[in-house]
Amino acid sequence: MKIEETILNNVSRVKLEGRFDANTSDAVEKFIRERIEKGRSQFVLNMENVSFISSAGLRVVIIIARELRNEHQGDLHIAVLQPSVKRVFEISGLNNILKIFDDEETATKAFSK
Amino acid sequence: MKQSYDFPADTAVLEKIGKLATDAGSNAGFNDIEIGDIQLALDEVCTNTIIHGLKNDPSRTFQVVLQWDSGEIEIQIHESGEPFDPLDLDDPKLENIMEEQSAGGLGLYFLRELMDEADFRIGRDGVKTWRIVKRKP
Repeated sequence: MKIEETILNNVSRVKLEGRFDANTSDAVEKFIRERIEKGRSQFVLNMENVSFISSAGLRVVIIIARELRNEHQGDLHIAVLQPSVKRVFEISGLNNILKIFDDEETATKAFSK
Repeated sequence: MKQSYDFPADTAVLEKIGKLATDAGSNAGFNDIEIGDIQLALDEVCTNTIIHGLKNDPSRTFQVVLQWDSGEIEIQIHESGEPFDPLDLDDPKLENIMEEQSAGGLGLYFLRELMDEADFRIGRDGVKTWRIVKRKP
């Protein structure tokens, strides 16, 4: 799993590439937690290049989003889901709970509103 | 067609297992959505096996047996790990998923939702076997 970050207007845009499964989910969680500990509370998770997600990946998304909302007055926006990944979000119902956007810029700007 | 593979209990093997699932699903004539379902279901079972059954110990192994015909695929996963009955877990309450303590249980929920059959048994020799089946409508 490749993880890259850019920051714009205090929003941390984290771009993932590869599988988001039990083998890679810990690294993603650690990456984001390190930034939360440094004071970041607004995240965009760009999943355009995430080819597969399992419940292990969803668990990290849920836990991080919950913590940002409940403890840091922040949030986690999801940007760009491949069809197979979008299906997993829909089956789990997360598409109704998390904010999902068609592109990273819109997901970022949504924090300004 | 039948293929059998042995894997160490290491989550690094999940990517290769995923490829086996997509190849077998494609060969059996499933569409992209169905192939994705098969891949996810197998990933969830294997993850459960590696982490809960075999405690992430790469010196221990499990076996994946894929068997398919046109329009049907059956996958069995055999392991001799810790006693654990995954069917003891309740499905997560999806409407409360953001409040659930561990966000766990989703894996088995996907299994039941995406596959036509999913069962688990423990043989007399202590070998635990998952069996998952998907058929074209």
